Amino acid sequence: MTNYIYTPNQSSSFKCKVPLENARQLFVVDGKLQDSQSAEGDIVLDYIMPFQSEGGYLFKLDKGQSVEELLQIISVRSSKRPGGLNFANKVELGQSSNAKLLLCSHTLGEVDFQTEEDFNIEIGENAGLDLVIMQNEHNNSLHRTNFKIDMAANARLKLHLVTLHGGEISNNVSVNLNGKGAECEVYGLYLASGEQRITNVMNLAHNVPECHSRQLFKGILDGHSVTHFSGTILVAKDAQKTEAYQSNNNLIVSDFAKAYTQPHLEIYADDVKCSHGATVGSLNEDELFYMRSRGISLSEAKLLQQQAFAYAALAQISNNSLLDRLTDLVERRLRGEFANCRDCSRHSC
Amino acid sequence: MENLIEIKDLHASINGREILKGINLVVKPGEVHAIMGPNGSGKSTLSAVLAGKESYEVTQGSVTFLGRNLLEMSPEERSWAGLFLGFQYPIEIPGVTNVNFMKTAVNEHRKQNNLPPLTAAEYLKLMREKLAIVEMDPAFSSRGVNVGFSGGEKKRNEIFQMAMLNPKLAILDETDSGLDVDALRIVANGVNKLKTPENATIVITHYQRLLDYIVPDIIHVLYKGRIIKTAGKELALQVEERGYDWLINESK
Repeated sequence: MTNYIYTPNQSSSFKCKVPLENARQLFVVDGKLQDSQSAEGDIVLDYIMPFQSEGGYLFKLDKGQSVEELLQIISVRSSKRPGGLNFANKVELGQSSNAKLLLCSHTLGEVDFQTEEDFNIEIGENAGLDLVIMQNEHNNSLHRTNFKIDMAANARLKLHLVTLHGGEISNNVSVNLNGKGAECEVYGLYLASGEQRITNVMNLAHNVPECHSRQLFKGILDGHSVTHFSGTILVAKDAQKTEAYQSNNNLIVSDFAKAYTQPHLEIYADDVKCSHGATVGSLNEDELFYMRSRGISLSEAKLLQQQAFAYAALAQISNNSLLDRLTDLVERRLRGEFANCRDCSRHSC
Repeated sequence: MENLIEIKDLHASINGREILKGINLVVKPGEVHAIMGPNGSGKSTLSAVLAGKESYEVTQGSVTFLGRNLLEMSPEERSWAGLFLGFQYPIEIPGVTNVNFMKTAVNEHRKQNNLPPLTAAEYLKLMREKLAIVEMDPAFSSRGVNVGFSGGEKKRNEIFQMAMLNPKLAILDETDSGLDVDALRIVANGVNKLKTPENATIVITHYQRLLDYIVPDIIHVLYKGRIIKTAGKELALQVEERGYDWLINESK
């Protein structure tokens, strides 16, 4: 048995307070799903099980099945197994099913990790997935995730992709809207500092008519960090009445960080509403002066502005306690507190 | 009585262009001063320099605020020391709520005085009390700072902030611009309610209109970066009737 049990009485020095209250938790350690069976050998949750022999998990809901509670899957790399690791996960939502998932990835121990993860998600007709991904790994971690998401008619996806910390984090996300009326919202937030590298690649394909998609990616860069955003919206021939919006905004708070952003539209239909926008900017001097003139110190004024910038990428999170938690984690991250998490044996905020 | 602020031969430039060309001004506790003058005379530059805006360069002169060298202080230190600038164009800060903004400001002021931060309940009580001074709806507090506010709401928000921070010297830059008569009355009443024998106000304005509501003890006319006339409150009426030309000619 793992001992990652939520204990509200834990010492206040352990600020991270994993896992989230009022959510069911499952752990994945070095790619292996833990405790999916009880001591008696019974399956604990009938909708999640190990996926392949080398690791990963399968989350599967049958037609009409809905899971109301939030399932938090906490995936950690441990120092018992440093180096490279590959595994694949799958989420399969049957017709008219609904799920809420929070996936957190963390690293324990300051050793080198390289993780390559494939993540296939199939959302059936009229099914809905509310997915929040939170990545918080240490500076020696390289983690690449390839998301492939297929959506059937009238399927709904709300994806939040929050990268709080990590040496080199890449998310390659391909979304295929394959059935009429599918709706996809993606909100990304990445916070990079030091020598960190964060890459988000979005490929969003409108293969059929009458689908809606919306993407908002926001990044805050400090130190010598480098981030990349590459977003493509493809609207297939005859995919009429498509609505697709994409926006990427970067806030650079140091003189040395670099943000690369590449928006692309490929449109082969003629009756569509599409837009994209990309910005790279620095802190607003007028706002800073206004705040300082009220006695808010320069460091707090900068922090308030960064929090406000980040919040737009979190505001659509439907679970309020999760929204509060993430807002708090973003503030701690921007205050530089994560750099002090070394001593915490469960570095998994 | 000790001077609140003493400005001596103040010269300031922006982008190498000199805007203030030797300002001399002394304000004592309990006084209300008005600074009038035509467009481009340097009124807003004076207020920005006093609040510590970094785009202006002070090339000559001194400013002493409660015995301290104001020009060496950062904008936030000036605020902690008791200086307040009411902006002509209050800045919008999307994503930062009024509550969060003002709570942070009030608690930073308290920190300077070694006081603990206000609890949520204490803050709420103080906020409601001060909102009433400018007849503002508490619903404003959950909105982004000045975002989507009308001109009048922005100026009321400035006076609300002034009430929360309780400054020793408030400089109100064109607080009357863009206000209708009702908003003007509310804003001016707010300023009057905050007046005590210990604090002082400098009202910067184009028009005599505001001075019907906030009655000054002393009026200065600023022209081309210098104060060319200082007199009692009757000067505002003369300016209203005759404009600035006669003063400009008189000073030549």
